[in-house]
Amino acid sequence: MDEVISLAAVTKRFGGVAAVDGIDLVVRTGERVGLLGPNGAGKTTTLLMLLGVVAPDEGSIDVAGHRLPKGRSAAMAQVGFAAGYLPLPERLKVDEYLRFYGQLYGIPDPDIEAALDRFGIAHLARARGTDLSSGQRTLVGIVKAILHGPRLLVLDEPTASLDPDVALRVRTGLQALCRDEGTTLLVTSHNMVEVERMCDRVVFIASGRIVADGTPADVARAFGGADLESVFLRLAGREEAEHSHERAQETERPAG
Amino acid sequence: MTGVQLSWLRIKAVARRHYYVLLRAPHRLFDVTIWPLVDVLLFGSIAAFVHPGHAAAGRLAAGYLLSGILLWHVVYQSQIALATGFLEEAWTRNLLNLMVTPLREMEYVGGVVLFGMVKLFLGLAVVSLTALGFFAFNVTDLGIGLIPVAAVPLENGWVIALFVIALVLRFGTGAEALAWGILFVVLPLSGVFYPVAALPWLLRPVAEALPTTHAFVAGRALFDGRGMLWGELGVALVSCVLLGVVVVFFLTRMLQAFRTRGYISRYT
Repeated sequence: MDEVISLAAVTKRFGGVAAVDGIDLVVRTGERVGLLGPNGAGKTTTLLMLLGVVAPDEGSIDVAGHRLPKGRSAAMAQVGFAAGYLPLPERLKVDEYLRFYGQLYGIPDPDIEAALDRFGIAHLARARGTDLSSGQRTLVGIVKAILHGPRLLVLDEPTASLDPDVALRVRTGLQALCRDEGTTLLVTSHNMVEVERMCDRVVFIASGRIVADGTPADVARAFGGADLESVFLRLAGREEAEHSHERAQETERPAG
Repeated sequence: MTGVQLSWLRIKAVARRHYYVLLRAPHRLFDVTIWPLVDVLLFGSIAAFVHPGHAAAGRLAAGYLLSGILLWHVVYQSQIALATGFLEEAWTRNLLNLMVTPLREMEYVGGVVLFGMVKLFLGLAVVSLTALGFFAFNVTDLGIGLIPVAAVPLENGWVIALFVIALVLRFGTGAEALAWGILFVVLPLSGVFYPVAALPWLLRPVAEALPTTHAFVAGRALFDGRGMLWGELGVALVSCVLLGVVVVFFLTRMLQAFRTRGYISRYT
């Protein structure tokens, strides 16, 4: 299988603090990877670097066979991205929004109705962004991300604002997409059950480093837990303890 | 830049996106209809007031002021269209969505400029028709020479807009006040309605360094019937290109800083 994502010794610091600390990660075609970790672990920074939006301080990033930043445009033509926290431009209707993004990906006249229908929201085609619920906006964002048939789909907290039944519809739709079209999936989520169902591989990040990488069952076993949630809680607790220790050292350090 | 191919489809898509913005935000029409109308009424009326009873002198004053305001609206409309076009993406938190597509920076600017030209023509039509209707000032009397003269304020408006975008990328939307404010600095220094000699001596070197100043000198010469001042136009074009090179370099550095420092977090 060929590599869709290749991060080699990637480091990113903000104000002297390493948000991402020497990450090596390879994702191959067709893999469904969950990128997990506590808040502030470095997940979103990692995603933004492989999307070419944030530049790494060190290391190299290749996406869909193109080295960033030089090959950003060619790489992004093969990537779709959606995030639960991104709004729709309020002055566009859903079909205008999707046509606009379809054309940015080189499709003059995208089949918007079919794309919306995939998630059961074809009736929203003429609705304005401001008239949609947050869940509907998330669904439209996901439709935007898959409209051009991307080789790699990157989702940041895709189901954070969705009701369980809509989240199930999204999960089913994404699983079908990956199965039928061989799309590679990289997803971050705080919903461990969802990740266990959607992904065949999980990568745990803590303090900017990869601390576990394998199938959900293997990772849970390696940490002596029954499931990913127990692994997550253990890592989050460890990270909090490390931060408390650092804060205590700062407090005890004599002035000057 | 080897191998970089710009996509006409993407440029058109960006232009259409900004057409929808204008369609759904009627208050944006103020820039292209109300302000040009207000400016023509204001300066045309000032000329009529200054020279009451002296029809010829009044027409001359109105001509200077109205030809000045016409060229000024070329700067204003081209600058505002590009700067607020970019700010629209910041205001609607659409920057991240755009930055993860294959869209290149030049294609984005090209699309906003393309629709900005539509707004420019609308604004100039309002200026021309109002000036003709209320003050009998016919823009076409300036002749074909107006086109090369107008090219300088046009490019200068884009250059100022790129400078504002660079500052917004670096300092966030706090710098957006410059989208409008910077023009009020350029306006008096460019000698839009008067020669540079009318400015306080301390400001004259600054005024001489601005490309727009030389374009307005050439514009007044056209109105006076002195023909095209090719020397002034040449200085205006060359200084405008040089300024453009400096600003594009600055913008590139600010975009680099935006990516290096992770400023996208301001818009997510």
